[in-house]
Amino acid sequence: MACGIEAKETLPEPNNSYRVNCGKWSLLRAHRICMVSDFFYPNMGGVESHIYQLSQCLIERGHKVIIVTHAYGNRKGVRYLTNGLKIYYLPLKVMYNQSTATTLFHSLPLLRYIFVRERINMVHSHSSFSAMAHDSLFHAKTMGIHTVFTDHSLFGFADVSSVLTNKLLTVSLCDTNHIICVSYTSKENTVLRAALDPEIVSVIPNAVDPAEFMPDQDRRNGSTITIVVVSRLVYRKGIDLLGGIIPELCQKYPHLHFLVGGEGPKRLVLEEVRERYQLHDRVHLLGALEHQDVRNVLVQGQIFLNTSLTEAFCMAIVEAASCGLQVVSTRVGGIPEVLPENLIILCEPSVKSLCEGLEKAIAQHQAERSPSPESIHNTVKTFYTWRNVAERTEKVYDRVAGETVLPMCERLERLFAHCGSVTGYFFAVCAVVNFLFLLFLRWVTPDSIIDIAVDATGPNGAWTRQHISTGAKKGKRTEA
Amino acid sequence: MVVKVFFPTSCSAADSGLLVGRWIAEQSSAVVLAVLHFPFVPGQVKQYLTDVRLASGLGLAVLGSWSNSAEEKREELEQFLEDLRIIFCHEPWLQIRREKSTKFWSCQAIRSQQESAAEEIKVILIYHDQRKVMLSLLHPPESHLAAGDHRTEPLSTGGASELAAVFNTVAQSRVLFMTDKYDEGPVRLTHWQSEGVEGSILVELLKQASGPVCMFLTFLLSLLSAVCKSRVLQMWPLSFLWSKLSTCEQLGHRLHQLRLLCSSKKAQDQIQFTRKANILVSFLLDIVLGVLLLSWLYSKNRIGQLADTLIPMADYVAQELQDLLQWLMGVPAGLKMNRALDQVLGRFFQYHIHLWISYIHLMSPFIEMILWYIGLSTCLGFTMALSIFSDVIALLTFHIYCFYVYGARLYCLKIYGLSSLWRLFRGKKWNVLRQRVDSCSYDLDQLFIGTLLFTILLFLLPTTALYYLVFTLLRLVVVLVQGLIHLLVDMINSLPLYSLALRLCRSYRLAAGVKFRVLEQQTGKPLRLLMQINPLSYGRVVQLYSLPTSSSYPKDSWGSLLKKLFLGELIYPWRQKDNKQD
Amino acid sequence: MQEQQFTNIYGGAISLQCRSYDAASCREFSVCTQKLSLRGLTACTCAVWLAAYALFAYTENSAVLSAAIFVTLIGLLFYLHFVKIDQESLLVIASLGIQMTSYYASGKESTTFIEMNNVKDVVINEAIYMQKVIYYLCILLKDPVDPHGISEVVPVFQTSAARHLPTRWTASKAAGPSNSFEGAVQVEINMCILETTL
Repeated sequence: MACGIEAKETLPEPNNSYRVNCGKWSLLRAHRICMVSDFFYPNMGGVESHIYQLSQCLIERGHKVIIVTHAYGNRKGVRYLTNGLKIYYLPLKVMYNQSTATTLFHSLPLLRYIFVRERINMVHSHSSFSAMAHDSLFHAKTMGIHTVFTDHSLFGFADVSSVLTNKLLTVSLCDTNHIICVSYTSKENTVLRAALDPEIVSVIPNAVDPAEFMPDQDRRNGSTITIVVVSRLVYRKGIDLLGGIIPELCQKYPHLHFLVGGEGPKRLVLEEVRERYQLHDRVHLLGALEHQDVRNVLVQGQIFLNTSLTEAFCMAIVEAASCGLQVVSTRVGGIPEVLPENLIILCEPSVKSLCEGLEKAIAQHQAERSPSPESIHNTVKTFYTWRNVAERTEKVYDRVAGETVLPMCERLERLFAHCGSVTGYFFAVCAVVNFLFLLFLRWVTPDSIIDIAVDATGPNGAWTRQHISTGAKKGKRTEA
Repeated sequence: MVVKVFFPTSCSAADSGLLVGRWIAEQSSAVVLAVLHFPFVPGQVKQYLTDVRLASGLGLAVLGSWSNSAEEKREELEQFLEDLRIIFCHEPWLQIRREKSTKFWSCQAIRSQQESAAEEIKVILIYHDQRKVMLSLLHPPESHLAAGDHRTEPLSTGGASELAAVFNTVAQSRVLFMTDKYDEGPVRLTHWQSEGVEGSILVELLKQASGPVCMFLTFLLSLLSAVCKSRVLQMWPLSFLWSKLSTCEQLGHRLHQLRLLCSSKKAQDQIQFTRKANILVSFLLDIVLGVLLLSWLYSKNRIGQLADTLIPMADYVAQELQDLLQWLMGVPAGLKMNRALDQVLGRFFQYHIHLWISYIHLMSPFIEMILWYIGLSTCLGFTMALSIFSDVIALLTFHIYCFYVYGARLYCLKIYGLSSLWRLFRGKKWNVLRQRVDSCSYDLDQLFIGTLLFTILLFLLPTTALYYLVFTLLRLVVVLVQGLIHLLVDMINSLPLYSLALRLCRSYRLAAGVKFRVLEQQTGKPLRLLMQINPLSYGRVVQLYSLPTSSSYPKDSWGSLLKKLFLGELIYPWRQKDNKQD
Repeated sequence: MQEQQFTNIYGGAISLQCRSYDAASCREFSVCTQKLSLRGLTACTCAVWLAAYALFAYTENSAVLSAAIFVTLIGLLFYLHFVKIDQESLLVIASLGIQMTSYYASGKESTTFIEMNNVKDVVINEAIYMQKVIYYLCILLKDPVDPHGISEVVPVFQTSAARHLPTRWTASKAAGPSNSFEGAVQVEINMCILETTL
């Protein structure tokens, strides 16, 4: 039962050979990063895998990374994933769509405790749908920690819900140090929605792990053409369009098959279509897919169809292209930026246009004019890699670390200036209350009482050191 | 290596001799059961141990030597004990020596030559009270219980447990302890000694009599149950009635318990014995309470007073109900109802009350007599009286139940109609085969009729809902009262009074585990610990030994209850959960 | 026997006594928390009585006052007998087991003994507790059915809420591809003070 500070001192410095081995590491500026989002494993989706892969690459580059999310059922408390990636599953109530309910204040005690004990100097929030991400930005700014935000989605401007979310985004982002978007369309959208200075918005696309999405020629069925759809079956993904496409194309092409992976409320639409047109043997609904099964589904088809109505950066089409599929997609949001024109057929988001696009793809395939899966894979492989993403994100961190966090008075001014009188005043009051709450918490449990956690990752991370020692042992063994 | 020696405190003053006990090799612990005194013939000792081994089923052996230096002639004794080691060879050989004027004993465990060089053997002395350990029943910890139902066999789980093995050893060597102090056996032993069985003529007579009494009772009971099971009573309306009356259930439960109690089979182990004792005590308590109630009821003509107040009470309730209906038929709480439907419903219910009142008045001359005879049943037990009371309440509030059922059925019909028509509105329909909502295209006239019906139902809903609400509240009050009575009955039925009394007076009999106290130490001498029995907490006693009750509690949560109420499904008091279908 | 002063997770002072009975085979660690403070007790009593007096002045029913006295007495007894723990001790006997004892302010003791062959390991774990994230010392019990499983986690020094810090890490990694989520890793931190005795 030694005291925290003593314990820290007893930890030996990482040995020099290690530093030499990993010369590319920027150990000078190792950040202690806290990723916050409501969406993380065991939930599955683009944001989740983005956070995971980015964190792994940042750990590899020598930073300390922890992830904070809310509890998923029985999964609560503190967990560790590969390479000592530490996850805090906080017991906060889930309100809607896996997003936590926010009162702006109630999460402060726990988040403050975590930020202090992990000595965080960079809070990186993900997804504008996540209430927790906004909360943590708010608290981090109150505590004087640098903040970065990544926006993964596009929004409209017209309907009530997007007007409200846009207002919230304006408030949340007006004093955030830096914002990352996944595509140029998304950047434009975010800048417009949150009325931001484009200077502080960077574009870093998503990536896929090309090694995980290798094409497999043997799995394809020669005589038939299979169209694969992998997405959540919700309205945003245009499943109603899919329901219109399936009967039309199935009537035209007797050897056409559909393979649909994913689960959601719109599954019923597809089931009804299947029953009405008696397509049970040609339309397969696979239900929810595990992340590692996606590739096995993708390689069974020749054409990938994406019917999204709005999309910031579509990971699914990159994965599909990486598996060597011909991609047909709607021309919405950031999708046109993602792949070069020879790899994708873009259509308008309507049944007619999508059918035309698919027919074109089928014709190409039948005439065997389409490029081979291997060549597609080799082209796509170089486009988006996580290492590249991590490098670029690191640059953002380096830049942010050089900036100063806005002091309270400037923050309030910024709020008044940016967010209109009513909202501005309201959130200014909230910020002040939050600050007072923080002072109160500091009085109840001073920072000195909070134990400093043992780093799992980062320059002094227990994991990295252990990794080295086992690695060294292995090396010796192979030498012998 | 560490050797643990469990040493009974009753042997600490014994004369020098040999240690007899069991060696548990896998835990390297020695359980000393007795000290064997001089003089003896080694052959006889060996023979004796084999006999005991056969009787108890335990691997008893001579573990080592014990010397109490209060005696003289030390040197020779030492030498002699050393020789004994060669006769009764045991690995390791324990030597415990008690010196005068000190409470620290010296203790050694000696192995044969080859192994002794390998490592030093340390000894821990653990004192325990042999009697308490023998009598106590070790219960597994709670976590083990959660893994599976070990309620019937608490000792079996402790197969791997070291303490369970020790407890088992001491308990099974009862044969060893049963030899009397003054018996002239082949060997002389010191161990825990009972004071001798307290013999009394009365006890003996009771013991002798219990057998025939039990047989007689069993015969009576089988006769009774045969009558209960006869074909006449199993016919349709009657069997239905029996299942509804809580008195019958309670009677059946008690009969079952009595049969268990009087069965000629002897209780196999302590658990079953405790269960029987629990049943007996709860039964006796029940009867005593019943008799007390009986004497209270039949003194000072209390029955008559009760009967006199009952009729005006029923009248009063009926009057209040009538007023309530009048109020509902007007403009209740300022709500504007559908006048025609309101009138129809109100008249219907009023007529019902009228019927009820005349029925009560027809009954009134006989009420006192009925009560008098019913009151006699109290001598069968307090729980029986409570059950009858609950049934009487159910009978007297039958009109409320009827109202509730009519209201609920009507309301339920409307809710279902509305929900299916609402689906029709949205172009959906319920697919019965697939248990899901499908989309469906309707004709124009179908939609027209549907809309028409929907509107009618929607506008009639408030009136029905109001009637339903009022009568549901009334029904809930009755259910609550009945539920409380059943709770009380179940508590009396299931409370393990014998176990609780055992825990209170002989707390060592029910052991949750043990606790150790470190006794005074001296360097160079072995570690001395005192093992005490940690009694079971009262909560656990109740949890482990509570008797099974006849009633089945519905597992409904409050949420599902509310949902049921909202959908207009019928709710029942707790006992009748099983008969939900009818 | 040595005594050391520490703070618990609330910042209160606690003291640790280590007593060694017999070389390394039997050791006792006891953590004493702060004793019942007179100030807090007086404040509570005064608050209850003032409230009762206010109620009395309002209702003019003297039963309120006697009820208040009764409530205070019962509450105090309950607090001393069931809530307030003065000292928690951990007795480790080599090859026999671990015994945890809590001494209540009223003198009541509650003891739990865990046999050594039920103990799988003693670790420091991390958990979210109230609005805090703390390290705590706990004993892992073996599952009788599954030899690799853990049937129960028994926290040690629960009420004194001592701050435990890992000083040595042993991390075991589950085999699995580095890029999958499945490679969840279990961390076990052995506590140095128990290492010598277990």
